[in-house]
Amino acid sequence: MTLHLINRTPDNRGLFDDVVEAISEGDYLLLIEDGCYAGLAQTRAPLGSLPRGSVGVLKEDAESRGLLGRLDERLELVDMDGFVTLTERFPKSLSWF
Amino acid sequence: MLSYALLVHAAPYSTQGSLSALRFAEAVVARGHAVKTVFFYRDGVHNASTLMAPPQDEVHLGERWRRLHATSQTELLVCVAAGLRRGLVNQAEAKRHDLAMHSVEPPFELTGLGQLVDAMLTHDRLITFAP
Repeated sequence: MTLHLINRTPDNRGLFDDVVEAISEGDYLLLIEDGCYAGLAQTRAPLGSLPRGSVGVLKEDAESRGLLGRLDERLELVDMDGFVTLTERFPKSLSWF
Repeated sequence: MLSYALLVHAAPYSTQGSLSALRFAEAVVARGHAVKTVFFYRDGVHNASTLMAPPQDEVHLGERWRRLHATSQTELLVCVAAGLRRGLVNQAEAKRHDLAMHSVEPPFELTGLGQLVDAMLTHDRLITFAP
């Protein structure tokens, strides 16, 4: 099981398609930095096929971009402490860029 | 307690990656784990510049990395090949390459990629912070 991290905007459609294709059952995807924009309710399309509970948004990064309250409600809000907790849970991580 | 290694590709102040890595490192320590190694690679080597002088009301990334080293004994490793290309050299490398000055000082250490491999093999977690 792998923790996937992505810090790019969803404009990088090819990258998001690759991430979605690479994700296996039990993996988790955390949107960080500009990756948070992919969590906007109207732009979540590339992540639509991922199961509920397998995608999170880093709260601090979403907040600093004014995205809180505008995110898809199926996504989990994860704070920095929660980010560390995810790395405790997943021995392997993969950063996409 | 888990031991962490962080790989930082991001240049300071160009993208958010360096600050993300730093905040993550501080959160790891706050949860009772150890950040044993931070490896600065590619443009990430600029984090090691001793000449960094950001405005006083901004985060001083160099100082924060040094504080992490002081409080958590974190190794701050800088890829020597990436550093040489970008003018990030310590006193010994400056002398070896006949350069007039140096720009990297302890606790930052110039090392090779072997140290990164070693960190990957010996620590429980490796987290990469992209540019």
